[in-house]
Amino acid sequence: MRAMRLVGTVALVVCWLSGLVTSAAQTISAPSKWAQPAAELAGQIADILGPGQAQLTVRNLSTIPPSEVPGIRKQVEQGLKAHGVLAGGPESANAIRVTLSENARERLWVAEIAEGNKTRVTMVHVEAGESATVRSASERVVLRKEKIDGLVSRTDARPRDLPILAAAEINGHFVVMFTDRIAVFSSAGAGWAESNAFAMSPKMSRDPRGVLIPAADGGSFAAYAPGTQCNGSYSLPLNGENQDSGWTVRCRASDDPWPIYQSADASSGPALKAFYNTARDFFTGVVTPNIGVDLPAFYAAGMIPRAAGGAAILFAGVDGKVQIVENGTMRAVAGVRDWGSDFAVVRSGCGAGTQVIASSSGEAVSDSLRAFAIPALEALPESNALPMDGTVTALWTAQDGKSAMAVVRNGAGGYEVDRVTATCN
Amino acid sequence: MLRRLAISLLVAGAALCAARTRPHYGGTLHVEIAGDPWERPSGVARRLVFDGLTQVDASGALSSALAVSWEQDNNFHRWQFRLRQGVRFNDGTALTSTAVAASLSASCGSHCPWDAVKAVGPLVIFTNDAAMPNLPALLASDQFLIALTATADGRTAPGAIGTGPFQVTGFNNGVLSLAANENCWSGRPFADAIEIRVRRPVRDQWLDLSLGRADVVDVPAEQLRQAQQQRLSVLVSPPITLLALEVNDAGPLSNVKVRGAIAAAIDRSALYNVIFQKQGEVSASLLTQKMSGYSFLFPTERDLNKAHELRGGLTTGTLTMSADGDGAMQLAAQRIALNLREAGFNVQMAPAGVQHADLSLRRFLVSGNNPAAALERIMWDAGQSSSVSEQSAADLYRREQSILESYRIVPLVDLPVGYASGASVRDLRLRADGSPDLAGASLGEVR
Repeated sequence: MRAMRLVGTVALVVCWLSGLVTSAAQTISAPSKWAQPAAELAGQIADILGPGQAQLTVRNLSTIPPSEVPGIRKQVEQGLKAHGVLAGGPESANAIRVTLSENARERLWVAEIAEGNKTRVTMVHVEAGESATVRSASERVVLRKEKIDGLVSRTDARPRDLPILAAAEINGHFVVMFTDRIAVFSSAGAGWAESNAFAMSPKMSRDPRGVLIPAADGGSFAAYAPGTQCNGSYSLPLNGENQDSGWTVRCRASDDPWPIYQSADASSGPALKAFYNTARDFFTGVVTPNIGVDLPAFYAAGMIPRAAGGAAILFAGVDGKVQIVENGTMRAVAGVRDWGSDFAVVRSGCGAGTQVIASSSGEAVSDSLRAFAIPALEALPESNALPMDGTVTALWTAQDGKSAMAVVRNGAGGYEVDRVTATCN
Repeated sequence: MLRRLAISLLVAGAALCAARTRPHYGGTLHVEIAGDPWERPSGVARRLVFDGLTQVDASGALSSALAVSWEQDNNFHRWQFRLRQGVRFNDGTALTSTAVAASLSASCGSHCPWDAVKAVGPLVIFTNDAAMPNLPALLASDQFLIALTATADGRTAPGAIGTGPFQVTGFNNGVLSLAANENCWSGRPFADAIEIRVRRPVRDQWLDLSLGRADVVDVPAEQLRQAQQQRLSVLVSPPITLLALEVNDAGPLSNVKVRGAIAAAIDRSALYNVIFQKQGEVSASLLTQKMSGYSFLFPTERDLNKAHELRGGLTTGTLTMSADGDGAMQLAAQRIALNLREAGFNVQMAPAGVQHADLSLRRFLVSGNNPAAALERIMWDAGQSSSVSEQSAADLYRREQSILESYRIVPLVDLPVGYASGASVRDLRLRADGSPDLAGASLGEVR
């Protein structure tokens, strides 16, 4: 018990210290961030008012933290001073009221300059900033997520975020399936940028899904979307041509079954295929090759290797039940009340060696992922919940078999791809 | 000890979470509303049955709908929209550019934001003597949803036929019945059917919701607090409905000073605090603060002295006032009439259905994330059609200021839109126009 208290105290101190450091860092970095718009606004005010004295008030109607407002006020004061306008007290005949405001697209700093009965208005726009959060998890297995930067549908030519159905790293590129195309992303700085795209016309769905299977040769892939199948390959372009131009993707209308999971080793190829209901968002339950059991309609499936040899196949049914097929019989799995419709099987090497990463949300706005072991007929949680930055719309095993890939739709309707890795604690 | 505690916490955490599964197909959504499902703007049935050439997505951005692309020419005097291929109306008729042009012409008659619209192959082409910088955004509005006007054999189309996710199957005993459009271009909706019980008092709607007889019901802005106190699961939009007084500048109110006196005499705070129960925000600007970032520059305070000063000794006789819609709007109109009497105006409430009152209390939709387009749309809805090409906040502010200085439209309050849903309804969201996206909602699974 004493040990627990000690751990708790240390954690609190660490949190407090880290908060202090973050807060100090924000305070220190604030002046440079706001210097340019503050100077611009001060210049515009001085152009209207001319040299002299004026009472300055600053109010904040924006999401700028209150702690940064004094710094901004100071910078406006300095800017005014540089133009010969001194911030005076209430006795000044003129008044400047600066409002730090914002709209849906930008921050807006507005100055109302009152000279006698006359009030004039000027304003400058300020680029909106972003904040980042860092989270961690702990227990027997630790889940970590890494955002794959740049895998977005939006470009200058395409201003809208489209759902990402699947993605895979192939031959040094990221191949991403959107609802209207298969796009190839090339490395660009710290992230990825779309370098090539191939149109695709799957049957539209309100819950679109797809799978993308890298081939064993490491240079080609097969992609499946409702009513459509595509095959892509990469060959080195001729001398002098852009390296990104070596991709070819061909699509055709198809109702062929989709590979429903990758085996642990991508080189051995997918083990099981299932027919997808193109007018809905689930698999019909008809699989090939036949596994000797009549399956209900299901959303997701995965193979769990057993320590004693052989494998079990896990299904998340449309009826909400998670069942496992092993030795020719299908049984319900307990401990899955918090599971969503999607899961991915990963070989972490921790514990029994294989975990199932499943999504859930509870009452929270955002979903979370959690690792489970299924040694028999019960799912046992093996990690803390890893909070995601929105709703998990797709989850599958990465081609290395050791990590999962998740597509997350954030509150603003944008999509991102996260690589989720399970490591031993 | 630590390990046991951690494991029990993990299990407890897992047990507390409810699963977020994929949406399920099937079932009938039961919706109850106080108004008319086809009313403008944003009647619940309109966007279930019809689509526009463009649409505003949940983030407020303009996106493609029946048109897949559009481009302007000749400095915004000409636009061409390319139609999505393979789309059919609910009766099976193919969507063609001719059908689209006919629908658009019928929607605005001789008072359209374009001079001409014509069909050329898969293109719909708009031309105008004046520039139309915001036409794609304007075409996303409720007024320009595409309906079939004539069948393939040239006869007038029967009833409401669109390309949307649902089709009308009947209207009996105050219930509008809709069935899923299996071949909808934007994907088959999750629910098989929707039944909309219309003109149902809000109190009865809430009772039905609590008894499981309704899945989605109205929550008017002034009853949002009450709904939350009753622990209803409420979806609320940002303040997207502008309540404004339209002032007829003909006849007794042709003098701009008299109209200014009316604007100064209205007590917005009383409307906000008493009638609308502190929902939304008091406003003296056409665009919301969230949209423009400068709405605070327009003073909202009542100034009775200024009203008397502006009116001077001018007399206007008895003014008539009308109000759109429900009880709260009527109460708000009566309150405004009281304010105006204190400023020396004699105001009488016009009977329902009067078209040309001196003062009209109206609701305007202010949505999307393009302030210039939103401003143009308000002006369009107010019958003051003029294009808004200003883009910077400072230019838009000056434009809005010049519009408001004519006092033909007096903004009062920005109000949110609310709906409550039952426990079995999943993934219900509000569209940018505040209407519930029932096509994207599904009924919960059985576990």
